[in-house]
Amino acid sequence: MKKHLLSILCAAALGVSLLGGCGGKTREAGEASPESGQESGEEKDSVIVAMGPTSEPEAGFDPAYGWGAGEHVHEPLIQSTLTVTNPDLSIGYDLATDMKASEDGMTWRVTIRDDVKFTDGEPLTAEDVAFTYNTVKASSSVNDFTMLREAVAVDETTVEFHMAQAYSIWPYTMAIVGIVPEHAYGPDYGMNPVGSGRYVLKQWDKGQQIILEANPDYYGEEISMKRVTIVFMEEDAAFAAVKAGQVDLAYTAASYADQNVDGYELLSFETVDNRGFNLPAAPAGENGEGMAVGNDFTNDLQVRRAINIGLDREEMIQNVLNGYGTPAYSVCDKMPWYNEESQVAYDPEGAVKLLEEAGWKEGTEGIREKDGVPAAFTLMYPASDSVRQALAADTQNQLKKLGIEVTIEGVGWDTAYDRAQAEPLMWGWGAHSPMELYNIYHTLEGGSAGYSPYANPKVDTYMDEALAASDLDTSYEFWKKAQWDGTTGIIQEGDIPWIWLVNIDHLYWSREGLKVAEQKLHPHGHGWSIVNNVDQWSW
Amino acid sequence: MKMGNGRIRTAVFFGAAVLLLAGITLAGFLLSREAMVTDFSRKDLAPGLPYLFGTDWLGRDMLARALTGLSMSIRLGLLAAGISSLIALGLGIASATMGRAVDSVITFIIDLVMGIPHILLLILISYACGKGFQGVVIGVSLTHWTSLARLIRGEVLQLRETGYVKMAEKLGMSRFHIAWKHMFPHLFPQFLVGLILLFPHAILHEASITFLGFGLSPEQPAIGIILSESMKYLAMGKWWLAVFPGLLLVLTVVLFDTAGESLRKLLNPGSTHD
Repeated sequence: MKKHLLSILCAAALGVSLLGGCGGKTREAGEASPESGQESGEEKDSVIVAMGPTSEPEAGFDPAYGWGAGEHVHEPLIQSTLTVTNPDLSIGYDLATDMKASEDGMTWRVTIRDDVKFTDGEPLTAEDVAFTYNTVKASSSVNDFTMLREAVAVDETTVEFHMAQAYSIWPYTMAIVGIVPEHAYGPDYGMNPVGSGRYVLKQWDKGQQIILEANPDYYGEEISMKRVTIVFMEEDAAFAAVKAGQVDLAYTAASYADQNVDGYELLSFETVDNRGFNLPAAPAGENGEGMAVGNDFTNDLQVRRAINIGLDREEMIQNVLNGYGTPAYSVCDKMPWYNEESQVAYDPEGAVKLLEEAGWKEGTEGIREKDGVPAAFTLMYPASDSVRQALAADTQNQLKKLGIEVTIEGVGWDTAYDRAQAEPLMWGWGAHSPMELYNIYHTLEGGSAGYSPYANPKVDTYMDEALAASDLDTSYEFWKKAQWDGTTGIIQEGDIPWIWLVNIDHLYWSREGLKVAEQKLHPHGHGWSIVNNVDQWSW
Repeated sequence: MKMGNGRIRTAVFFGAAVLLLAGITLAGFLLSREAMVTDFSRKDLAPGLPYLFGTDWLGRDMLARALTGLSMSIRLGLLAAGISSLIALGLGIASATMGRAVDSVITFIIDLVMGIPHILLLILISYACGKGFQGVVIGVSLTHWTSLARLIRGEVLQLRETGYVKMAEKLGMSRFHIAWKHMFPHLFPQFLVGLILLFPHAILHEASITFLGFGLSPEQPAIGIILSESMKYLAMGKWWLAVFPGLLLVLTVVLFDTAGESLRKLLNPGSTHD
């Protein structure tokens, strides 16, 4: 019995000391915050930003290995680009002073400024531009540069891109490829980047932080934020850092949005970071390698249409995103190439009617069936993503009311791409380039689109024409027609092979007093986009 | 403090522990549908009357979820411990009766498996077997037999020196016959206790492997998944997501331990007079 008493006492002592430890910590935090408050009283020109660990560029700051021009696109900060995307996602100029495509779209001629120097003092010439593009074409494993055949420097300030195929949206690619210096480029460039952009890499502690300092010789507008520190931490650690007052701006998720932190405000930015799921538009079968492709239930056009109007997107935004989101009707909502016909109204009665007309009659336990086939499918979601899990669960609940049984299943990306050929998967997309429409809806060589079985020759043709167009405005028209031309397309009245649910607002905790400059619609990826214009932030 | 003699008290302990565990298993089984239901109209509720353990960010009833998770853990533990102990019994007896060569091979395998950190081997095996329920069962089964096998081998080595076994050998009975007829009944208590004491191990390892995300997919109510999810919400003050399922897990493990210990006391001739 004595022994027991002793152990209880020990446990109690441990508990007390733990509590004490916590108390100590909060006190420290309390002391730290007034200090930073003082700093902001003076002319403060530095900022600490917390991002997720996946935002750290593994291969360094080399555009050939995904910096800027990677899976999640953003401005490369350290390097300059030829063009930039404006807040309304039209195209503006950075290094370029003029650009022109040839009549057939096979040659792009771009003239550049002649007053730009790299941070090592060497001038930036058309040679460097040509070198950069030929390098990314040869070695980029992350982004597709197959549309480019070759880049050639015509003279000091003129570069010509000879295309392998017409590619009218080339300016959007030019907005993400940072120009590297030919004379200072090598295998270790990613670690020691030299550029001509707004910032210089000062320090990189791998796995922890990146420190950027303003480029004193920058050719553009004056940089008001002289020093930018990026720290990489998980969501909960970032929140703890905000509570402790250690960071000025930290990414966060909707699940934290109802928290209150003294001295911080919640910033919310609209995005095209959308979530939606594919509905395989092909009968169930197998491809040449024995992989399951297609799905008999989702192959029914009326079923796909019923699902699209049978989902209450507003409710989803309230339930899953605590209100921080906008309904999505396409992969490119609010972009210049978005066709507004995509929008649909929530209409559960209409959805039921569609299902009834298509022969899906109520069966046992309220689940519809047709010829003995139950109205059911598995909706996969990436196992590590709790927001997509919640969206999948909400979809499950809402479709249940229509008599469609959805089973949700968390999967890893190692199997998800293959399985999505036969079963719907909760995806996240959204980019500052219409090429995403092409990637999702255009058929590949096998006669079916890449991520989910679908084929419509008319849609293909419009997108081919969009790429072959000689100027952007014409190409926008074709991109819109690819979505809906009045008779066919990928929207509700068309084939609707993908259901788009929501655009997720990107949320940040921001220290009071920090003025974050106007943001353009963020693309998919809750990372570097926020600091695209960090040079214009101020306190 | 006097409440019958020690043996009766032990038996009561044992009975109560088994009953409680059976109760958890059954409750989880009955609630397994309820555990998967998501309802956003009741999300993030603190523990209260309709939902004793509160609800999570998908509006799932944490009581149902925790019970179902534990129930699955127990069933998984049952399977894994069963398979594991059969492997241990077979290999232990084989090692002790089939001669030097077999013995050294089996001892080598035991040392090998024991030498690799459990959790690592577990992850490798269950990953190779395609994750999921089956992967976890195979993984836990193939990693937990070693210490029991070693114990049984030692027992058998001792038994071989006893008079009745030697006599049976002299009478020309087959090795298998001796092992089955003369040795197994003697080994049974150790075996049974070993089996029951494997449970807590199996359950804790199942919890850790699902916690690390190598087991089941996250909509499944497994105790490790519940706990790893709850970690994210601790910073937001949603303590109930972690505390109750965690306590329930500890309770289950302690119950198994109590049951095993009581059974040992009941079966061990040395403690008959306690």
